[in-house]
Amino acid sequence: MAPKTVSSPATTNSFQSLLRSYNETTLPRLKLIDAFLLFLMLSGIIQFVYCVLVTNFPFNAFLAGFGSCVGQFVLTASLRSQVNPANRAEFKEVSPERAFADFALGSIVLHFFVYNFLG
Amino acid sequence: MPLAYSLPTDLSPATVVNASSLLRIVALALISGAAIASRLFAVINFESVIHEFDPWFNYRATRVLASEGFYEFWNWFDPTAWYPLGRVVGGTIYPGLMATSGVIYSILHGLNLPVDIRNICVMLAPGFSALTAWSTYMFTKEMKDESAGLLAAAFIGIVPGYISRSVAGSYDNEAIAIFLLMFTFFLWIKALKTGSAFFGTLAALFYFYMVAAWGGYAFITNMIPLHAFTLILMGRFSSRLYVAYSSWYAIGTLASMQVPFVGFQPVRTSEHMAALGVFGLLQIIAFAELVRAHVSSKQFQRLLYASVIGMGILGGLAIVGLTYKGWIAPWTGRFYSLWDTGYAKKYIPIIASVSEHQPTAWPSFFMDLQLLIFVFPAGVILCFRELRDEHVFVIIYAVVASYFAGVMVRLMLTLTPCVCVCAAVAFSSVLDTYINPVEPDAVEEEAETAGDGAVSASSTAVSTSSGSATKKGKKAAPAAQPGPLGGLVSTVSAVVSTKKGEKSRGIFGGDTRLAVLLNALGMLLFFVLHCTYVTSSAYSSPSVVLASTNPDGSQHIIDDFREAYYWLRQNTPETAVVMSWWDYGYQIAGMADRPTLVDNNTWNNTHIATVGKAMSSSEEVAYPILRKHDVDYVLVIFGGLLGYSGDDINKFLWMVRIAQGVWPDEIQEPNYFTAKGEYKVDDGASNTMKNSLMYKMSYYRFAELFGGNQAVDRVRGQQMPKIGPTLDYLDEAFTSENWIVRIYQVKKEDPLGRDLRTANAFEQGKRRKRSKPVARRRAIV
Amino acid sequence: MLLPLLALLFAPLCLAASFQTDHAKLVQLAASSNGVIRLDEHSYKLLTNPKRTWSASVQFTALDKKRRCGPCKDFDPNWNAVAKAWSTVPAAERDNHFFGTVDFDHAMSIFQQLGLQSAPVVQVLPAVEGPRRPASGRSNPIALDFSGGFDAAPLAEQLSRHTPVPIPYKAPIDYSRIASGLFVLLSFVAALRFISPILKSRWTWAAITIITSLIMTSGFMFVRIRGMPYNGPNGQWIAGGYQTQFGQEVHVIAMIYGTLAGGFLMLTLVVPNQLSPSRQRMQIYLWTGVIFVMYSVLVSIFKEKNRGYPFRLLL
Repeated sequence: MAPKTVSSPATTNSFQSLLRSYNETTLPRLKLIDAFLLFLMLSGIIQFVYCVLVTNFPFNAFLAGFGSCVGQFVLTASLRSQVNPANRAEFKEVSPERAFADFALGSIVLHFFVYNFLG
Repeated sequence: MPLAYSLPTDLSPATVVNASSLLRIVALALISGAAIASRLFAVINFESVIHEFDPWFNYRATRVLASEGFYEFWNWFDPTAWYPLGRVVGGTIYPGLMATSGVIYSILHGLNLPVDIRNICVMLAPGFSALTAWSTYMFTKEMKDESAGLLAAAFIGIVPGYISRSVAGSYDNEAIAIFLLMFTFFLWIKALKTGSAFFGTLAALFYFYMVAAWGGYAFITNMIPLHAFTLILMGRFSSRLYVAYSSWYAIGTLASMQVPFVGFQPVRTSEHMAALGVFGLLQIIAFAELVRAHVSSKQFQRLLYASVIGMGILGGLAIVGLTYKGWIAPWTGRFYSLWDTGYAKKYIPIIASVSEHQPTAWPSFFMDLQLLIFVFPAGVILCFRELRDEHVFVIIYAVVASYFAGVMVRLMLTLTPCVCVCAAVAFSSVLDTYINPVEPDAVEEEAETAGDGAVSASSTAVSTSSGSATKKGKKAAPAAQPGPLGGLVSTVSAVVSTKKGEKSRGIFGGDTRLAVLLNALGMLLFFVLHCTYVTSSAYSSPSVVLASTNPDGSQHIIDDFREAYYWLRQNTPETAVVMSWWDYGYQIAGMADRPTLVDNNTWNNTHIATVGKAMSSSEEVAYPILRKHDVDYVLVIFGGLLGYSGDDINKFLWMVRIAQGVWPDEIQEPNYFTAKGEYKVDDGASNTMKNSLMYKMSYYRFAELFGGNQAVDRVRGQQMPKIGPTLDYLDEAFTSENWIVRIYQVKKEDPLGRDLRTANAFEQGKRRKRSKPVARRRAIV
Repeated sequence: MLLPLLALLFAPLCLAASFQTDHAKLVQLAASSNGVIRLDEHSYKLLTNPKRTWSASVQFTALDKKRRCGPCKDFDPNWNAVAKAWSTVPAAERDNHFFGTVDFDHAMSIFQQLGLQSAPVVQVLPAVEGPRRPASGRSNPIALDFSGGFDAAPLAEQLSRHTPVPIPYKAPIDYSRIASGLFVLLSFVAALRFISPILKSRWTWAAITIITSLIMTSGFMFVRIRGMPYNGPNGQWIAGGYQTQFGQEVHVIAMIYGTLAGGFLMLTLVVPNQLSPSRQRMQIYLWTGVIFVMYSVLVSIFKEKNRGYPFRLLL
């Protein structure tokens, strides 16, 4: 992203302060989710790079794999924002437990289609 | 604050709530009943028969599904369609409709109810219309309240704009698609409101069902992103939007690619790119929001915004670039013709030739929607007044759908639900305002402050000033209880909650209320009359069976189509190839069970143009074409005797145009007009017209029918020449009772190797006139 | 002006000259006039030589003002643009196909000879002999159809089927349009600051939305796509028939719809705010009356369009 490439001292500072603030204020379980998100993102990027550089031959398999990464990523990100206490006001009807149930259901449906699509 | 009329005061709030929910259920059941019943005109007037053209194919496919099972159906290759090419049916259809009836069929048979598959197909559309009414109720409930929802359900249940595509027997994709459309939209709104991935996932599942059922799914694919994008532009990005959209898009897109006919389109065509773009944009914004929450520096935040905008533009450019490089297919003709309205006529005459794709004149709107069409702008304004996220959706829907409906008659169908919702919101607001018994303080009495007045009013209205009831009323305000009494509770409490401290508003007097309510009631009654009239007179004709009225008012059934198709079925070998214009391909396949050259699945333009060329050229030119395609019978529709205007001579110019698109040297439209540029079939018709196979087959021996009197073509109102055309290469095989269907047999080559014209002339004892050109020979004969 | 003279000068020579010089002359004529030969009787004969090895496309038109041929005027620049595009093709191909224009007032006899009653007409004359003779052996002229409109692009596309190589026609970039678009965009951005309160107001958008949907549901697109006239001959403004309408109907119907919707809004939003009982009563009756009367008018207009419609209100 653009902020990372800009190297003026002010932004470097603010970048550090961003990291610090993240480390300090984020709940451990959110950090766990974030780690999973990072993993999904890397996995998706690897698949994409493979597709671009090597081959996209079984295109449906690529789409299924990439789609499962992206889909799982957004579902997890949704879970993250739903359980984030800072967003409590926005999700009045979604308790953290309900959020996890939603997440599980969404993942099951997603992977059902992924499995069907792998071919 | 006084009341305009007194209310029962001895009801407990629980009774009111229970009674209103009971009434609601009863009303919904009645609405479903009305929706189903008003679609049965076709069955009562005619019989339980599949209508029109496309339904015949769907019906045929469903029969295959029901008898052979799903896997056979999935891999079905139909060698009899598009003879000699054949058609891979499994991969070229939206299987949702057939699968639905197949499932219903197996459930019923599992319950030992041996219902015929045809009856399931005939009754599917009315059944789903009840579900549509219910989903519209749910949708409108999210917009306003239950009472508006009930009105909307009643509207969509009987509105002709929807009935036109869902009468009993109209077994087409739209029959279930409108339900899926409304229900997907409802789930989307629900997901957006609650921010729950559960509803997002459900929306994706129903989106998948929709994709499997109807090509119009692209409407959802673009409406939801448009809504999300507008919300972002309005600065209403929220985590709920992120959750709802992401879960819908990620699952829905992957799911939609499971349908073979859709395939990889969701990642490779421009129609679907808006959804992808908004998906990407949402990820970026969500990330930026997350970072923003952790950093307070102003400068950094500005950089963040700049980078978000930059990424958005980059993403947009990437999509454009990929389209340019050909990786993403540009807009397909069908979609493109919605934007550039002249496009279809120029480049895809086959689309332009379908009457459903013509633009809509205002009488069609009024016919299909009646009073809804002018109440609906009022509803849109009311949506603007509140402008919650879901109202934005309805507003966008209204604009987009009214444009589309203006461009294509067919898309009236997508406008209808939105119009029903908006009109219901407007109508129920009027009713709310004028049924509410609370009278405001007249401006003269200024002693009492409005706020106090309102509170006291609500307590009088709900029950005998019991504190709990007032509380109940207040609590009900956001959730809004419907039904006659529930609506009362909600409006009264609405007065309490919204207008505290402000000027009181309301209506004085009983006569005013009565006037407005009577007027509204009268309009609604008129609407019901109108809908019944339109449904029974205009939309309930199966078009397979026609009806006319005898002088004494009784109904006369014209059953020429089925007569002719059954003739084909009974009297021709099973492999006999029948050529007709593509409109009748599905019917021939469904009812006569014979191979056809072209049918309503217009996937191969060249093949259609070949048929068009054969129809529009002279016998000598057409004959080799017919023989090369193994055509045994040629079927034409001729309405000249009865005045049936949908016949082939009226469609003839489209055949010419489509053939001209492929063989511009050989077929030219202007040649079929008279020198003055008129389209004539009488003496003045051009020679090319008179020599065309279509003309000859239509008017062959037509003049003889009039026994020496002047023959008159009743459709075109033209007098036919006394001596009709002659046919040398075809034999008349069958002509139905009212001459609507005429079937000709293609002669085999002459066994002596003569050309058929000479052979014919020889048989009639005439001498060969070899040296004379065709035109002059005609003049002598 | 000079061309007919030139042709006349050459006329006797042409008759005598060999076939080769005919062709050379045509090439010369074409080159001297931007690719379009202004044909008169004589050069027309030259062009339609029954032994021609070249093909030609000829426009028959009537550009003189007194002929009052609107379509001719619309079409002529497009024709010339396509011909000009053709003149950029390398000479080897270019000289095998000619563009010509026959104006009614310069060559009436050709029109009579061909029995042409209307203009503009475009005919393509295929080559009769030589390598470019079409496979079908067809030598009589092919008339082009204008069902796709008079635009240059479809014309070039249609003609390209008959020319040795496709006509390299590209729609000219309309700089003035781009410039005006840019100008509007820039002034919009510049004015954004001042009009942003307007843009942010929901009622601006409400107005836009309502006007759009009113216009669309009154059949505006029908009138536009079909090119319907504003009103009919002898001043009638309702087109008879259910499937058609005139431009004026859009206005009338949109206005009626608007009034009716307005009546509903008045009754729901404005009237309840009126705190004087007598005034409020008057307004309620007024708007109820307006709705009722307008609705009757609408139904009666609809009845006019759809004769079989059995219902009516007041009217």
